[in-house]
Amino acid sequence: MEARRSKDLEPVWRALANPVRRRILDLLCDGPKPTGALARKFRRHSRFAIMQHLGVLEDAHLVVRRKDGRTTMNFLNPVPIQQIHDRWVSRYQQPWTESLVDLKDQLERDTRSKAG
Amino acid sequence: MPDPGDITHVLSIDIHVPVQQVWHEITKTGSIQRPLYNCVLETELRPGSRLRYYSPNKKRVFVVGEVVEVDPPRKFAHTYHFVQNGKEPATLVTWELSEIPNGCRVTLTHAGFTSVHKGADKQKAGWLEILGLLKSELETGTIPMRTRLLYSVMGFTMWMLPKSTKTGEVEKVTW
Repeated sequence: MEARRSKDLEPVWRALANPVRRRILDLLCDGPKPTGALARKFRRHSRFAIMQHLGVLEDAHLVVRRKDGRTTMNFLNPVPIQQIHDRWVSRYQQPWTESLVDLKDQLERDTRSKAG
Repeated sequence: MPDPGDITHVLSIDIHVPVQQVWHEITKTGSIQRPLYNCVLETELRPGSRLRYYSPNKKRVFVVGEVVEVDPPRKFAHTYHFVQNGKEPATLVTWELSEIPNGCRVTLTHAGFTSVHKGADKQKAGWLEILGLLKSELETGTIPMRTRLLYSVMGFTMWMLPKSTKTGEVEKVTW
């Protein structure tokens, strides 16, 4: 189950490893947007390029696209982000925080003993 | 039909079990749906029939609605009033299931939130949790310990909910 869950998230990592796609997600975080309105936010990228990025985001399930008459609405799907959080953040958060606090204490003790 | 200015939540999750199994879980009536905060669904599952999501002992009602569409095992839509918020205009919940290689894609749409609705963000956070629990329940047969603990706490604190959520009170209201 664990191995499969990690594999499921592969396309999500790949999709996130691009600044344009991360910017698209930020824009969609404020609410769903039609493709045209989204493309207009990017001056240095063609509409075609943005559509390709949206395709990658859709394959990674980070974006859900809905046809609404002639326009396509793009919704941010929060589920894969939550899965990354569950798999990678919550598990490591505590030991990390603890070891950082330990390190800080150790360094401060060392500095004090040197000073004294 | 929702206005363009309305807020719509769309959440989608892939679950590695057959579509039929997901359909069975989300349309199960008369017994606890563990991923759905332990709610008990009561409805006749046909368009126009009334729908209630009760607390496990059925003394409280969390959601009041009416079935809009039933297309097994693909689509289940119903209107939605969150009882704790009092009388607000109905929103629309739609479950869509589709087959994917090795499983089922579940897409939940909650549409029709306007500025008069309280806590649209909280509803979204709730669905996010529910979909994760649904995946956990169906793929592993269980839900995390912390959620089970939370449920038992919820059971003891049910008396703290507004009186308006009591089953008798809810049925006095024309929703």
